[in-house]
Amino acid sequence: MVDPGGGAICNGTLHNQSDHCRRKNCTKNGMVKEAQQNGNSNFYKPMVESFEEAPLHVMVFTYLGYGIGTLFGYLRDFLRNWGIEKCNAAIEREKQKDFVPLYQSFENFYTRNLYMRIRDNWNRPICSAPGPLFDVMERVSDDYNWTFRFTGRIIKDVINMGSYNFLGLAAKYDESMKTVKDVLETYGLGVGSTRHEMGTLDKHKELEDLVAKFLNVEAAMVFGMGFATNSMNIPALVGKGCLILSDELNHASLVLGARLSGATIRIFKHNNMQSLEKLLRDAVIYGQPRTRRAWKKILILVEGIYSMEGSIARLSQIVALKKKYKAYLYVDEAHSIGSVGQTGRGVMEYFAMDPRDIDVFMGTFTKSFGASGGYIAGRKDLVDYLRAHSHSAAYATSMSPPIAEQVIRAMKFIMGLDGTTQGLQRVQQLAENTRYFRQRLSEMGFIIYGNEESPVVPLLLYMPAKVAAFARHLLKRKIGVVVVGFPATPLAEARARFCVSAAHTREMLDAVLEALDEMGDLLHVKYSRNRKSARPELYDETSFELED
Amino acid sequence: VNVGVAHSEVNPNTRVMNSRGMWMTYALGVGLLHIVLLSIPVAWTLTNGIHNLGMYVFLPAVKGTPFETPDQGKARLLTHWAQLDYGVQFTSSRKFFTISPIILYFLASFYTKYDPTHFFLNTAALLSVLIPKMPQLHGVRIFGINKC
Repeated sequence: MVDPGGGAICNGTLHNQSDHCRRKNCTKNGMVKEAQQNGNSNFYKPMVESFEEAPLHVMVFTYLGYGIGTLFGYLRDFLRNWGIEKCNAAIEREKQKDFVPLYQSFENFYTRNLYMRIRDNWNRPICSAPGPLFDVMERVSDDYNWTFRFTGRIIKDVINMGSYNFLGLAAKYDESMKTVKDVLETYGLGVGSTRHEMGTLDKHKELEDLVAKFLNVEAAMVFGMGFATNSMNIPALVGKGCLILSDELNHASLVLGARLSGATIRIFKHNNMQSLEKLLRDAVIYGQPRTRRAWKKILILVEGIYSMEGSIARLSQIVALKKKYKAYLYVDEAHSIGSVGQTGRGVMEYFAMDPRDIDVFMGTFTKSFGASGGYIAGRKDLVDYLRAHSHSAAYATSMSPPIAEQVIRAMKFIMGLDGTTQGLQRVQQLAENTRYFRQRLSEMGFIIYGNEESPVVPLLLYMPAKVAAFARHLLKRKIGVVVVGFPATPLAEARARFCVSAAHTREMLDAVLEALDEMGDLLHVKYSRNRKSARPELYDETSFELED
Repeated sequence: VNVGVAHSEVNPNTRVMNSRGMWMTYALGVGLLHIVLLSIPVAWTLTNGIHNLGMYVFLPAVKGTPFETPDQGKARLLTHWAQLDYGVQFTSSRKFFTISPIILYFLASFYTKYDPTHFFLNTAALLSVLIPKMPQLHGVRIFGINKC
């Protein structure tokens, strides 16, 4: 009987690691046949991820753009310094001019000269629930984005392509939210205590049991804040003398938790199994840096879906590596829980893995469940240890009861425990919307990063001015997008990030795609050099029927 | 606007010169500068001079980073040249930026027909740009220039 959690191993060695082998349906040891018979259709499914590089002239123009911006920045700084131009930033009081300065002015060079010019595309206030359509408050600036002023008008019914509203559960109040209202009336809003003292409510216990059932694990623990779940619990799990192998593009919460723990951190290239294996081998062979003793623990930190790239971690290969070198695995499913997998159970279900293979499941309720907070799940002894030793359980207030009820309601909805199949329909609708959106975008010729199945779609724009123009024009057409620029992404890879939601109807997606098409032509951002044909079934030879 | 929050690269300044297309942009920039200056008779020396002046200012003179980094100010005392690749010497970016003023110097000397005055100016400019890049001078501050 094939152990479905065995990953891509045949004969105990990692032969089938490359995607090449996966696509050809390797028939070594008959494993493929058995996997198909067990219904694990994603087991050898080819992962189609693309991170296309832009043509060289685009990169050159991007750097030239930054260079010209920098030169003008120096010029303006010079003018401001010598009083020819008015300085709008905060300046020190006259009496304190001789004190040691609080900030180095050069460190804010980028913020002052480049970010300020296009600042109106971020921090836009909204005034409705972040559903598929929302209302944005209109604001203008009279002094080139140094200060803003609200005109009082509201731009209504802007199509929301930026919120992490994967299953459409972040909506206005409707009758299905009645239980949340009742809990609000019974329990109130604040908890007023930590988990260790008086802050553990029966709602938390109910929620934790439900989360454990949802993920098919032994136990779970919930925390009030998603970021704090990572940064407060990794220090409780690893300490000095342990090794953390973290992916290059891990989220700030994971990086912070790893740094706070005091363990040694080594970084492997994003989703690159050769890099990870090399690090694991070096760790096992050479041990700790000077004493050469064995590491106390080796923990691999990966995410389910990486939000800036849209790529999905190669979980089956990582699990195979972890078993071979006896390391622990911590998966942060913030973006993938509820949005990937056939019934929305996350990357574990997407790869059809055994839940016993992943040691620590972590996720947040902010994205697909429309609430806030995070959870850590796994074996019962792990969760019991965290209940006693987690920093968040000792010092941070626990989750608020109406939010816990919202998560309970959302999870029951997805699992189908409320008696309808609407939850499952939404998961499938999300998958359909994702595939449609991605396919249309790559047909149009944009460079899209990431896996074909990930609902986070980054569209590369490269040049800083195009980033600003893109966001502003789309708002004029009543579409709200999130654009990200240099500090959060590598220097030359500024992008716009779309989040597809199950609540988007086909008409909304078509409206967005049409607007994007026009924007792409106007701004010349259609850089992709591999135009796919409009009929993707031609690429998958197994389903292509030869006619004779 | 925080640097290094989405990926684990603490100081992006270290990697920026390695990025794809940066060298070509630099070469194009110098070429553009030269074409603009071709109208003046002392074009090559001027190109050499201005290029070296710019390189002196940006690489081994200005300290710190134009954005706040989460490394608690370790990069504030370092010039951009010292920050490249986290201080590892003889990487390909460093070699490229050491060789490029030398190439410009050869071209300038050739086109000015080895005239003594031009030679003096060009050599002075070249030395001012080459000496701070030498690994022996990594982190050294002579004559109190740029101290702290």
